[in-house]
Amino acid sequence: MTKTVLTVDDSPSIRRMIAMTLQEAGYAVIEAVDGQDGLAKALATPVDAIITDQNMPNLDGLGFIRALRQHPQGKGVPIVVLSTDSEEGLKAQAREAGALGWMVKPFTQDKLLAVIKKVLG
Amino acid sequence: MNIQDLRPEKHLTVVTLALGTQTLAVPAGMLREILDPLPVTRVPGAGAFVPGVVNVRGSVVPLADLKQALSIPDEGHDHRQRIMVLEVQLLGEAATVAIQADAVHEVTTIDTAVIEALPTTAHAWPPEFLTGLYRGSAGFVLLPNLTQIFSTLATRPQAAAL
Amino acid sequence: MTDDMAAIFREELRDLLESLERGLLDLKARPDDMGLVNQVFRDLHTVKGSGAMFGFTDLAAFIHEFETGFDRIRSGAIPVGAEIVRLALAAKDEIPGLVDGLPDPDGRRPAILAALRGLMTGVAPAVEVEAVMAGSDAATAEGRRLLFRLIGPSLAMGARPEIVLDELRGLGATDIQADITEVPSLDRLDSEQCHIGWTMTVPAEVTEAQVEEVFLFTDAEWTLASHAADDMGARADAVEAVVTEAVIETLAAVPMAAPSAAAKPIASREDRGETPAPQAGATIRVPAERLDALMDAVGELVIVEARLTELARQNRDPALMTTAEQITRLAAGLRDATMTMRMVPLRSLVGRFRRLVLDLSDSLGKPIEFAVLGEDTELDKTVIEKLADPLVHILRNAIDHGMETQDERAASDKGRMGLIELSAQHAGAEVLIRVRDDGRGINPDRIRAKAVAQGMISADAQLTENQIFALIFEPGFSTAEAVTELSGRGVGMDVVRRTIESLRGSIEVESKLGQGTSVTLRLPLTLAIIEGLLIEVAGERYTLPMASVQEIVELPADKVMPKRSGDFLDIRGRFVPFLRLRTLFEGAGEAPAEQNVVIVMSGENRVGIVVDRIIGTNQTVIKQMSKLHAGVRAVSGATILGDGSVALILDVAHLVSMGRVPGEPNPATREVAA
Repeated sequence: MTKTVLTVDDSPSIRRMIAMTLQEAGYAVIEAVDGQDGLAKALATPVDAIITDQNMPNLDGLGFIRALRQHPQGKGVPIVVLSTDSEEGLKAQAREAGALGWMVKPFTQDKLLAVIKKVLG
Repeated sequence: MNIQDLRPEKHLTVVTLALGTQTLAVPAGMLREILDPLPVTRVPGAGAFVPGVVNVRGSVVPLADLKQALSIPDEGHDHRQRIMVLEVQLLGEAATVAIQADAVHEVTTIDTAVIEALPTTAHAWPPEFLTGLYRGSAGFVLLPNLTQIFSTLATRPQAAAL
Repeated sequence: MTDDMAAIFREELRDLLESLERGLLDLKARPDDMGLVNQVFRDLHTVKGSGAMFGFTDLAAFIHEFETGFDRIRSGAIPVGAEIVRLALAAKDEIPGLVDGLPDPDGRRPAILAALRGLMTGVAPAVEVEAVMAGSDAATAEGRRLLFRLIGPSLAMGARPEIVLDELRGLGATDIQADITEVPSLDRLDSEQCHIGWTMTVPAEVTEAQVEEVFLFTDAEWTLASHAADDMGARADAVEAVVTEAVIETLAAVPMAAPSAAAKPIASREDRGETPAPQAGATIRVPAERLDALMDAVGELVIVEARLTELARQNRDPALMTTAEQITRLAAGLRDATMTMRMVPLRSLVGRFRRLVLDLSDSLGKPIEFAVLGEDTELDKTVIEKLADPLVHILRNAIDHGMETQDERAASDKGRMGLIELSAQHAGAEVLIRVRDDGRGINPDRIRAKAVAQGMISADAQLTENQIFALIFEPGFSTAEAVTELSGRGVGMDVVRRTIESLRGSIEVESKLGQGTSVTLRLPLTLAIIEGLLIEVAGERYTLPMASVQEIVELPADKVMPKRSGDFLDIRGRFVPFLRLRTLFEGAGEAPAEQNVVIVMSGENRVGIVVDRIIGTNQTVIKQMSKLHAGVRAVSGATILGDGSVALILDVAHLVSMGRVPGEPNPATREVAA
């Protein structure tokens, strides 16, 4: 069964990079451009994991996670937040909002695959 | 094994096999097993007499081409081809060797009295490689002197290159 | 990164820069508009993040300080000023140059950053401190007990205990047991919580840090305890690394960062103190046959494991392949352990040799100093046993024939004491054992004359000095005029050579008349299992011992056609002769356009072996070839591959020696005894 990953990021190049890396490794990828788009897509299709950026227009990462976790179908999906090292406290906040893990930017393709593997097995 | 060595025994149990159109007999005591044809790995530089090796249940066993040693023409082979695994004396030690037989006929016991020496008239077979022959039901059967054959092969100088 | 993605990044960058400029200009007009501040911050953040992602580290570093600055503005620590907006705009102008890699001869960029820093002084930098668990990593001989339990609505967050268990298994956890004592009845079951805990044994070498890595994303309470202290109660102090947050001070003060929040205390664990020191020299006697039986069993295991891997590959079943991989690893470990068990130092023979040298020296009246180097060098026990007699013979020769009398030595200005040196050392996949003496040396002319007299070579045969010395090993050749009582008693150098060759080794003699002689034995390090490189030529597969392989290169296009004169490769300025295996082995068919050359080494000499392709490496169980094939010196053994076929193992020493005489179109034309 192919696993599906939802990537939520307002930067097209980052979305593209994540999509390419994961697709090459055999995952299916859905892209969303901000928190709101992400919420809509996550509720519409069952996904196996979510990678989301924090800083996005319309609805930021934390907001997206909190909103998603309110819904029954939004529970149980592992969510990884992208953080830069200048955002202290984000990790704790993200955990509180309902994220499972985090990945620091910039990250390499290998790191991305390792984190996804850790979360999806 | 010379004819003289055989004389004391009255009977000899042998396995008969076909090499080309020729029938040969090998003492049954030397036969370890008979196998279906196996993939043969060529040993470069080994010469025509022991051209390769085969895998017999995890052991690497040399495969000798007796037709070459005995100057018997190759007539091709069919589904009856078998590999015979023999235990022979090689330079004073027991050794396992394999030979290809175009067919394996039967195990039979012969009266040693019927074994004759090789005729002195001209024939193709190297005399030192044959203990003797006897008349079987379908023609005469050669008794190769396997100990002599393999000892000679072992001490024969190889092509120096390899 | 592909050009594809770089192009997308540049597109995105263009939009970002436009947005950034707009935002900054608007901000100049409306400095209190937090929405604009946020937007500018977001744009800077994205430029930095994406830039770093796609390799524009200079850009990222440059923007970083502005991003930090605007973050401070966001949090109210600094007000928006005309100055900072100006600087930000100037920075924005630098961005295209940074992306295109344009130089900055006027130093504008450092100037901008300096000015920015000037604006920002007085603001304490935020400090991030991570509390690190100090745990005693005292490894005990046994494993330790790990208990863990996921806390909070972990399942709702997507935590997967089975993945965690797999990771722990990867660290070597065994005896995993589930603790279901806290699983409530169905009506009280909270589907968001994982009510099950687990306990398991982890090997002593597993560190706290490694376990922590496993629980990085998973909220869990866990303890790593020694077997005795199986104490869930003391678990109240769960060990978890936390990021402590720094408090940002106000503008005025000297920067101060005070770690707040609770850094979780160290878990209480029974401290077992130091690892008991290993008992010095604890050994156990094992009958040699048991070791042999073990070695055989390991050999068979390796073959069967290769078969399993082959089947797993064909089946394409991932679970089977993983298991086959694990078995391969375990078999390799077992192989290495068994090999090591059989290794014995040369020292076990040296005592016997010392005695011999002393006795001979006395009875012949030749004072001799016997030096031994490298007596700790280890060899397989079977090899050592079989070396005893040959070495004794070589030493006897050296003392009896090689060493002059005291008078002769005095006459040629040599010291009174003769020197015999026995040395042993590892060299790649081989062990080199050398017996060197400073005696009279071997007279090549006498050897040659003797060989002609015995009919071994023709009177006008052209031989190099090495070839002449090699004649000593031919059967029927004796260097002594008279058979003395001490040596020459039927045990000739030809037997010595045969013994060495039966160990898949080689022997060589070097000598300088009047100065001394040196006999070198080369022996493979192990008899039974080696790491092999599988190669293919003309559809046939062969194995080379990996330890002898130096490197693999492509055959240059200009070498594809054979030349009449010797074939050489230029490897980093040194010439390496090469052999075409296809020609040597009379392989059928045409050589492919692209061939590889495996450079192998024996001693100080190298040769390149040209093959069609490299298949890969494998564990090679060495099967002996029969005596019927003993004359094929290029082959030192055989191995059975995973598909049941036989691959011959090539003798590197012999191949190297074949390459050593370049220019001969066919080395077979060397004249040696028939």
